[in-house]
Amino acid sequence: MAGVILDVRNLSVSYDTPRGPLKALRNISMQVPEKKIVGIVGESGCGKSTLILAIIQLMAPNANVTSGEVLFKDNDLLNHDLKQMQALLGVEISMVFQDPMQTHNPVLTVGRQMIDIQYRDKLSYSEKRQRAADMLALVGIPDAEARLNQYPFEFSGGMRQRIAIAMALMAKPSLLIADEPTTALDATLEVQIIKRLRELRDEIDCSILFISHHLGVIAELCDEVVVMYAGEVVEAGNVRDVFHAPSHPYTKALLECDPGHIKEKTRNLPTIPGEIPDLVELPEGCVFAERCSKIHDACSARPEFQVVTESHAAACHLNNGELVK
Amino acid sequence: MATSAKTIKPTKARSELGDILHHLVRDPLGLVGLIIVSIIILSAVFAPWIVPYDPIALNIPDRMQGPSLAHLAGTDQLGRDTFSRVIMGGRVALQVALPTIGGAIFFGLVLGMIAGYGPKWLDNIIVLLFDTVRSFPTVMFALAVVALVGPSLNTVIFVIMVTSIPTYGRVVRTLTQSLRNSEFIDAERSLGASVFRIMTVHILPNVLGPLAVLAAMDIPTVVGLEAGLSFLGMGVKPPTPSWGSLLNDGYNLIRNTPWLIIAGGIPLILTTLGFTFLGEALRDVVDPKLRGRGSK
Amino acid sequence: MPKDSDLVRCPSFNQSLTLRNATRMISYIIKRLGLAALITVLAVSLLFLIIHLIPGDPVSTMLGPRATPELRAALEARMGLDKPLPIQILMFFSNMLQGDLGTDVFSGRAVTDIVFGQVPYTLVLILVSIFWAATLGIALGCYSAVNRNSLGDRLAGILSVSVIAVPAFVVSLYSLLIFAVYLKWFPAIGAGEPGDWGDQLWHLVLPSLAIGLSWVGYISRLVRASMLEILGEGHVRTARAFGLPESWVTYKYALRLAILPTVTVIGVGMGFLLSAAVFTEIVFSRPGLGKLVIDSITTRNYPVVMGSVLFSTLIFVASTTLADIINAILDPRTRTTK
Repeated sequence: MAGVILDVRNLSVSYDTPRGPLKALRNISMQVPEKKIVGIVGESGCGKSTLILAIIQLMAPNANVTSGEVLFKDNDLLNHDLKQMQALLGVEISMVFQDPMQTHNPVLTVGRQMIDIQYRDKLSYSEKRQRAADMLALVGIPDAEARLNQYPFEFSGGMRQRIAIAMALMAKPSLLIADEPTTALDATLEVQIIKRLRELRDEIDCSILFISHHLGVIAELCDEVVVMYAGEVVEAGNVRDVFHAPSHPYTKALLECDPGHIKEKTRNLPTIPGEIPDLVELPEGCVFAERCSKIHDACSARPEFQVVTESHAAACHLNNGELVK
Repeated sequence: MATSAKTIKPTKARSELGDILHHLVRDPLGLVGLIIVSIIILSAVFAPWIVPYDPIALNIPDRMQGPSLAHLAGTDQLGRDTFSRVIMGGRVALQVALPTIGGAIFFGLVLGMIAGYGPKWLDNIIVLLFDTVRSFPTVMFALAVVALVGPSLNTVIFVIMVTSIPTYGRVVRTLTQSLRNSEFIDAERSLGASVFRIMTVHILPNVLGPLAVLAAMDIPTVVGLEAGLSFLGMGVKPPTPSWGSLLNDGYNLIRNTPWLIIAGGIPLILTTLGFTFLGEALRDVVDPKLRGRGSK
Repeated sequence: MPKDSDLVRCPSFNQSLTLRNATRMISYIIKRLGLAALITVLAVSLLFLIIHLIPGDPVSTMLGPRATPELRAALEARMGLDKPLPIQILMFFSNMLQGDLGTDVFSGRAVTDIVFGQVPYTLVLILVSIFWAATLGIALGCYSAVNRNSLGDRLAGILSVSVIAVPAFVVSLYSLLIFAVYLKWFPAIGAGEPGDWGDQLWHLVLPSLAIGLSWVGYISRLVRASMLEILGEGHVRTARAFGLPESWVTYKYALRLAILPTVTVIGVGMGFLLSAAVFTEIVFSRPGLGKLVIDSITTRNYPVVMGSVLFSTLIFVASTTLADIINAILDPRTRTTK
């Protein structure tokens, strides 16, 4: 498809557990257009990480893809073998992981690790080193050249995350996947990094898949957003449309509960009552039904995606407040 | 080892024995271990009644025979029935192992809990003591003491016990340290519980599990050490049969017959296998409980 | 750990970086050596106390029934038995530091010379055993971790567990019986012709394998557990996410971390290895510290016994210290003081 760099179609992934298969992703479909930033929003356990790991083919040994395709530039990644993936990862697809404290090898210097990932490039050692130093400087680490000789434990969390971003950008990826890259950072740092990501998108024309549970950041940074709940996509579309006029009750509830949204001072932050359902023994019908305030009889059957506006769709029996027949 | 207040039971362990046995039976190696260990213990306990011949009775005319129906493992150079000596040797092995490990556990517990729970200076001293004792290669130390005092059962027990104390002491110390910082201990302290009560009622039960695992894994070492010392002539005095002295006889006669070495070695190997398998299975039972089920 | 506010530049930061790393390393080494010295002092004092706490007259104990009046007088003077205990300890130490461990009861030769003459044999035996154990153990452990739960892994696991605790001297005896006496593949006695390296190596094979075997099991289990843990960690996933080849991930990134505990383990294991060497030397009639000690005990040549025990303790302390220092070199995290 023209203009779409990542096309996930009907992806289903489940994990083998002693209690039975845990259906972590069910029929996920989403797209990342060229040069756009797409955000994924959802609470813990909604399957965001599984989705990412499925895309880059680094899932746990007990994970199974039960259906679907993951098309990157029209090639199905699920059919790629190890060598083919190795050719893409770190070249066209880059990742920034969630926990900066665990991202780097503790006994190798930062410089060593940054040079290693350039192993495919035909540059001399000093050229690679220079490139690494340049990237570190780009993400705002002072004394970059000297700090290449240091070990990860000598950097703070924020700096390590920046190093991770620097590493992800050393190649010129077509797709940058960032899994909650700012969650472990404080607010000022978060702002800086968001700004950097936007600039980078403009500079190197990459697409970004940005996962977060921080709605404010998504609203600020992303062009489009995908809302996930318990392994399914419940709403997706243009970020402005989805956030200003959410159609799915879950999205609405998320927005209401976002501390950034709350206008009046209050001691009690609203929450969504209940918990995510057991992914081994799933309820029939709409997966959000139990916690939904707008539950109807129709909700005992799985809802289809309904187009809400031209640029956004939601999986709910209610469309603009009215039951869909 | 991190522990959470939720997984530690602050009260005395209920019948976890049934729980443990249940797990052991499920694990094939653990079951094998349990069977072997039971056979060894039973044959040691009932040794005087089940030996076919008197282990120290000489019978020169029948000397140096290979295995036969009359003598399952053959006879040695003085005509003594090897099989009977093997069984009796098991009794001797356990006679050494039990007081040794029991003593080491006792002193290790006391010192370890004091080190883990008490003031830092005391901890430093005890750790230094442990490290010092551990810095002696065990056999060398044993030989030195034996050289001074002469070989005997009690010397062996004493020496092995002293060199084992640091092993248990360190484990107890680490566990006590991590438990000391847990929430429910703080709660108990705020309720005014005495140190003694905290140590015996709360820390002790949680330490016993890993100690049991350690002891099970240690028995082969202790038995091996006793056998080794007896092999060198520095342990149990003849004519008391020991697997080690059997091996010594066998070594001296190695070009004449292999049977003595075989007979002396097999029970050692079996003891090792049995207790090691048992210990591993026990560890699988004890460890997840300590860390909280499902982690890793 | 540096904070984000460290973004404010520290002018001397650049130059001091290497110097900082070096000083950290040196101070760690010094601390470690100090601890080793302290433990040695304590161990020697302990030995000394044991001699004196045994009921009876220490001189008779040390010299045994062969004590002639001259020997008794000489030993009494050396030990300074009429002086108070702390002075005795000090004398003992000052003698020891001067390399004087006493004299052989029979030949009058310095104990130090006698012991030094035998130590190389034992050291060589131990080093070759460690070599076997480490190479086979690491290879086996790495293989098991990478091919987790395969048939090979399970088999290796059971074998490792069962072989670990079989006492080394039993393994020695059986290998002597099977491979030397019956199959006659290897020599049964001695260390080989002096000066003939090939012959000496040949004589080393069986004894060093006997000692190393139980360690292969132990090390492979350790490496396997370590590797499995590391392979599940975030930084390995990062490495793969950047398309690094699997061989790099396994060896350069994971194994390098996994080996660290092995180094310390080997250092600490010296004690066991020394004990195992004692038995193995007896079984294979090899010269070395073990044989020396046993012979001396049988002949009541007490000063030699004490000298050997002391020496083996020193070797042990040295090896643990060395292991810790190597660990600090390989793992930069241990160098910083908490």
